[in-house]
Amino acid sequence: MASRTKQKEEARARRLAEERARAERATRERRLRMIGGVVVSALVVVAVFIAISSGGGSGTTGLQTGNKASQLTTQVDHLLKGIPQTGARLGDPSAPVTLTYYGDLECPVCQTFTLQGGFPQLVSNDVKAGKVQVVYKAFQTATQDPNVFKTQQVAALAAGQQQRFWNFTELFYRQQGQEGTGYVTDSYLNGLARQTTGLNLSKWQSSLGDAALGNQVQSEEQTGASVGVNATPTLVFKGPKGTAQPSSSAVPNYQQLEAAIKKVA
Amino acid sequence: MTAISGTTAPSVTSGDRRLRIAILVLALIGIGIAGYLTYVHYAGLKVLCLSSGGCETVQSSRFAKLGGVPVALLGLIGYIGILASLAIKTELGRVAGFGIALIGFGFSMYLTYRELFTIKAICQWCVSSAMLMTVLVILTAIRALREAPAAT
Repeated sequence: MASRTKQKEEARARRLAEERARAERATRERRLRMIGGVVVSALVVVAVFIAISSGGGSGTTGLQTGNKASQLTTQVDHLLKGIPQTGARLGDPSAPVTLTYYGDLECPVCQTFTLQGGFPQLVSNDVKAGKVQVVYKAFQTATQDPNVFKTQQVAALAAGQQQRFWNFTELFYRQQGQEGTGYVTDSYLNGLARQTTGLNLSKWQSSLGDAALGNQVQSEEQTGASVGVNATPTLVFKGPKGTAQPSSSAVPNYQQLEAAIKKVA
Repeated sequence: MTAISGTTAPSVTSGDRRLRIAILVLALIGIGIAGYLTYVHYAGLKVLCLSSGGCETVQSSRFAKLGGVPVALLGLIGYIGILASLAIKTELGRVAGFGIALIGFGFSMYLTYRELFTIKAICQWCVSSAMLMTVLVILTAIRALREAPAAT
């Protein structure tokens, strides 16, 4: 009897142990399946994120053609209409306040400032009215290759020899490509030049080889570095009362620009 | 947490408690970093940076946004998600925390790659966040893979 009871108990214990093991196995399998599912889902999410991030960035267009291109040219012509240009200067050279704009044509923040920040309003109000003049100075930040940086800046300055620096620059920012994709090629720059109203193309092309323009880019960069520029856009207003920089914003709005002008005018 | 009895697998429970505290602390630091970067983004301020211009370059690059949403905000949401997953005491909470950390880790690795090879500028804030996410993915993975503490 005793041995039978013992056997029964042992069998029961074995069964319980097996059940427990089975339950544990099931739990473990369920957990692993869950984790597996989570890993797969996470990988999919990351892949989607990466695809969005590497794909067409917002607002980055690249060189436009046809109707879209002529629309951009019209916009730029409208903005700059009636404003004198000399080299990289926009506005009346005798305007009391000078804004020095350290920029990189490939820099997306410069693009935002120039197209959506306070800049368009500054141009159509203060620059047009002869109160402020803007001088663009080259400072390499977003552009990776120093040679490309020089080439694109020389291209803008070459347009400046025909009083079209700002047309070229505005067109560049409006068709700025994706950072780091090497979109700035000779054909890209030629395309911009062709879009620039009133630019003599062959004259512009021969100016590209002008060593003086290359030297100007270099000296502008040195000037920037010597005054402590380390990011673009860096904006410095200079007027009868001294110099000022608009607040601490990377993309100042019109009110912030106005406040800086007030300090120096 | 307070009712842990010494008889039910003490090593697992106290280990889990330590893991939870570590995850909590790291997620809070992450919220601090991502919160600061998100604030800076929306306030239009310049990022405080130890190296010259690195953060500015990174924050102003096109990779700082994902479909128009600043990645700092995504990071903030991720860290808050990891924090919130700690409050869910079931297996689901542990696995969800791991899932979020894994997404954060994967995307951080991609962004770090972009920093190094595309933007060629390093932002300490982003690197710190990437390191946090790396540790978090390890800790949450351990938590998710482990036997459930004091299983009922």
